[in-house]
Amino acid sequence: MISPVKIWRRQKEIRKVLGKKGRVLTWTKIYTPGTDFKKYAPYPVILVELKNKEKVYGQLVDYKDGDLRIGKEVVSVLRKVREPSIDGVIAYGIKFKPL
Amino acid sequence: MISLIGYYTTQFGELWDKSLFDLVIEAINGVLKQTRLSNKQIDAVFFGNMLAGVLENNLHSPSKIAEILKVNIPIFRAEAACASGGAAFNLAKTYLEANSNKNILVVGAEKMTDYSPEETITGLSAASSGEEQEAGLTFPGLYGMMANYYLEKYHYVEENLAYVSVKNHYHGSLNSKAHFRKKISIEDVLSSPYVAFPLKVLDSSPISDGASAVILTNDHNMIKKQKYSAVVMASELVTDTISLKERKQIDEILATKNAANIAFKKAKITRGDIGVAEVHDCFSIAEILAMEDLGFWKKGDGGKRIKELTTMYGNGGSLIVNTSGGLKAAGHPVGATGIKQIGEIFLQLTNQAEKRQVKNAKYGLAHNVGGSGGTAVVTILAV
Repeated sequence: MISPVKIWRRQKEIRKVLGKKGRVLTWTKIYTPGTDFKKYAPYPVILVELKNKEKVYGQLVDYKDGDLRIGKEVVSVLRKVREPSIDGVIAYGIKFKPL
Repeated sequence: MISLIGYYTTQFGELWDKSLFDLVIEAINGVLKQTRLSNKQIDAVFFGNMLAGVLENNLHSPSKIAEILKVNIPIFRAEAACASGGAAFNLAKTYLEANSNKNILVVGAEKMTDYSPEETITGLSAASSGEEQEAGLTFPGLYGMMANYYLEKYHYVEENLAYVSVKNHYHGSLNSKAHFRKKISIEDVLSSPYVAFPLKVLDSSPISDGASAVILTNDHNMIKKQKYSAVVMASELVTDTISLKERKQIDEILATKNAANIAFKKAKITRGDIGVAEVHDCFSIAEILAMEDLGFWKKGDGGKRIKELTTMYGNGGSLIVNTSGGLKAAGHPVGATGIKQIGEIFLQLTNQAEKRQVKNAKYGLAHNVGGSGGTAVVTILAV
């Protein structure tokens, strides 16, 4: 379950991985999501290897179909990541844009 | 020596008239009847279940089982996502190694169809890492990532994966307890809608209800009294990172590889000795990776080998895989799956597998995976 405190705790870490460039290591496109992501489906999720070799998951946004490929260069951006909690706190997180 | 002396499974499927514990009761009564044991002869119980706490606000199941069995013995619940059944079995075997002359009941069960698919998918996602959940990844999504990586690396296409489902549905058509009894074609698989690219509905195991139970014993007199028994040569549980991204390889389940290597060493047999295997085919790609990681096929050859269909019943191969129908066709009530796999091997080795009976198998292997590979249990039985 999501809670405002959990969102606050996680969001402190986001700035560390903002604006980072990397390459798509693998990807998928989710057609049957869980409850909190239902209204966004279908959506692509990529696994990115950043330049420092760290690996990060995120959804790909502002993309064309040709961008969904292994090896594609992407950059991390700040986006709303899921439905707000019941208390109305919006959860922000990392997504990626093609370069 | 630890032996498996009885197995019972309920029907797997969408069992709307049955609750989780209706299924548990049926499985327990079924296996007690088969082994002619009374509740008072059971010395401990291990219960495999993942979702009752998450979906039904229903924990402390050991005490519920004590109430059902009318006993006051040690009862434990094991949870390792889809490997909960395998983990329960592994713990039961370990318990027997520490206690002589005992009879242990191992039961695995799951009730999954009371909720919408989204709710059940969210519940299952509890077995992935926080980052995976926040990215909107589901289990089909994680296996979709593995599949996409594997297909690109070894230059295969979605059709290569489809052969797994065609084979396992054929096996399911021969198993009266299977969720799906319908044979399917490669075209059926390829034209089914996507769940998580490149995996489609017919690449994926279903959401099922069901319960399965086995009895393990190290009481030699008890083994002698039984009509059927198989020796537990090895049962090994290995863990790895919960996140797919933290693994060394995206297209390898290291926990499977390590568990298999230890199990074969302990059983003192080779891969070639195994005549039947139940491997964890939660998705088509998972069976291909399992066959490679268990050491039956060379890494990267799986996409090609599956097309030969030598592991399909009736094709004369020396190793037949997923005669129960696998998770794909027999169904995947997650806590029950690991027990059903071991039970299917028991049926095969003791010539009780009816229409799908593989001839002359002396050794069988069951392979159960939790999450995207965070837990693997490999069990080897012999007659």
